[in-house]
Amino acid sequence: MGALMALLEIAQLEVTFGHGSDRVQAVRGVSFAVNEGESFGIVGESGSGKSTVLRAICGLAPITGGTLRLDGAALKSPRPAAFYRRVQMIFQDPYASLHPRHTVDRVLAEPLAIHRFADRETRISRALDDVGLGASFRFRYPHQLSGGQRQRVAIARALILEPRVLLLDEPTSALDASIQAEVLNLLDGLRAERGLTYVLVSHDLAVVAHMCERLLVMQNGLAVEPLTRAQLQAREASQSYTRDLLTASEGYRPAPST
Amino acid sequence: MTNLLEVEDLRITYPSRQGPVEVVRGVSFTLGRERLGIVGESGSGKTQTGRALLGLTPPPGRATARRLSFDGIDLRAATPALWRSLRGVRMSMVMQDPKFSLNPVMTIGRQLVEAARRTASRHDARNRAMAMLEAVQIRDAARVFDAYPHELSGGMGQRAMIAMMLITEPDLLIADEPTSALDVTVQIEVLRILDRLVAERGMGLIFISHDLRLVSSFCDRVLVMYAGRMVEEVRASDLAHAQHPYTQGLYRCLPRVEGDQRPLPTLRRDEAWAR
Repeated sequence: MGALMALLEIAQLEVTFGHGSDRVQAVRGVSFAVNEGESFGIVGESGSGKSTVLRAICGLAPITGGTLRLDGAALKSPRPAAFYRRVQMIFQDPYASLHPRHTVDRVLAEPLAIHRFADRETRISRALDDVGLGASFRFRYPHQLSGGQRQRVAIARALILEPRVLLLDEPTSALDASIQAEVLNLLDGLRAERGLTYVLVSHDLAVVAHMCERLLVMQNGLAVEPLTRAQLQAREASQSYTRDLLTASEGYRPAPST
Repeated sequence: MTNLLEVEDLRITYPSRQGPVEVVRGVSFTLGRERLGIVGESGSGKTQTGRALLGLTPPPGRATARRLSFDGIDLRAATPALWRSLRGVRMSMVMQDPKFSLNPVMTIGRQLVEAARRTASRHDARNRAMAMLEAVQIRDAARVFDAYPHELSGGMGQRAMIAMMLITEPDLLIADEPTSALDVTVQIEVLRILDRLVAERGMGLIFISHDLRLVSSFCDRVLVMYAGRMVEEVRASDLAHAQHPYTQGLYRCLPRVEGDQRPLPTLRRDEAWAR
C-alpha cells in the first residue's frame, strides 16, 4: 500500500463451518485492503462468501486462517469492546435485525449503555435526526415502521457510537427501489459528511458501482477479481464471470439464437 | 383476435375495524397471447390482482369486477367446480419462493405427476413429468424427479415449480415475482424458459414484479400500479419515456453501472396519484 497504510487489511482470510464430512469452506483465501475514507464493495451471488467475509471481520464467523488488521494492529478474538466503537455493522433484513419488543429508544440506548456514554438523551435525538427520522419515531416499535424506516433505525444504531468503519451487508436488498434510492443517498451523504469508511456487500452490481470506488468480485468463496469503479463502468473485466454479472445486471436478454 | 383475458374495474376489499379497505381499486386490462408485466412497489396491489384472476383472494377479502372473463368464460359467477376445472389446467400461477410453495414432504416427481394427472393417464403423467423437467432445462431430470424440495437449490426448485405449473399446458400463466429469490445469472435462464414457452405454445403470461428494469426488458407491455390503482399502461420499450411521474420516478431512482448521478433522484410522491 506504500506510504498510505490501509485502515482495514484482510490477508488470506479463510472461514470454515462445521466439522468432518459437514465441513464447508465458505471463504477460501480472500485478501483486500480498504483505505481510510474509502468505500469498498464486495459483489457476488448467493453462496459466494461475501457476507461471511463481513461477519468474519465483525467476529461473527469462525476464522480458520489468515490475518485481519485494523489500523495496522491484528484483530483479537473475541473482539474487544473498543473494536465495536470503531467498527459497526448494518444487516440485510431490517425486519429481522431489530428486536420486535424494543422501542426505537431502547434499541438506540443499548449500545450507549454498553459503551458507557454519558449524554444518552442528546445522542439518541441527534442520531434520529441524522438518519432523517426525527423525534416522533423515538418511542415506536419496529412493527409500526416501514422497511425503509427500520433500516434507518439500524443505521442510527450503528452510527450512534460514532464508528469509523461501517460494514454494510446488502443494506437495501429488502427495500423497494424508491426506498433504496433514499437509503443509498443517506449512506452516501453520511460518508461524505463524516469521512466514514464503508465495506458494502451486495449482489447488485449497479448498487456497488454507485456506492463504491473499488470492488472485489467473489464466487464460491474465492476472490475472482478486484476492479475499480472506472474499470467496471468501462466494462474492463478480465474474468468471464464478472462479464456475465455485468450482462445480467442490464436486465433480460433473449437467448442467442442458435 | 379475441382476448384471452378481459378485466374491467377489478376491485378487492378487505373488511377492517375502520370499515372496508379497498386494496385494488378499479384495475382494467386485457391480455392476449403475450407477456404482460405488472410492476409496483410493495403494497401496490399487484399480487392481489394476480391472485384475484385465479379466484384466490383469501377470505375475508372480496374481489368484484364489472367484467372478468377468461377465454369467454365469465369468472365472476364461477362455481367451485368450474374453478377446479380451470385452475392448474388452463390457468396456473408460479409463486415467488419455491421454498414455501412446494410440498416439503413429497418428492418433486410425485408433485409433478399429481399435477399432470389432471389431464393425463397415470403412465402418461410420468413421461410428461420427465419431459417437462427436461423442458425447463434441468439437466439431471431423473435425480430431480426423486428429490425432495430441500435437496434442490433455489434455481432448481423454481424450475421444478414452473415445470409443475406448465405440465398441463395452460393458456394463462401468472408468475408472481418468479425470479426475485434467484441469483441474477439464474434469473435470466428461468426467464428464457418462460419466454420460449410463450413463443412456442402461444401462452399468455402475466409477470408480476417490482423490478422495473427486468420487466421493461422482458415483457411486451407493462401496467404500473400505485396504491391499488393502475396509473399507467405502457409499451415496455417506451418505459424510459413513460408519461406518469410515478413511473418516471420509479425508473430514474435505480442506480446504474454507468450512471454517476448523486444523490440519486428520489421519488416524490403526490397525493393525487392515489386518488
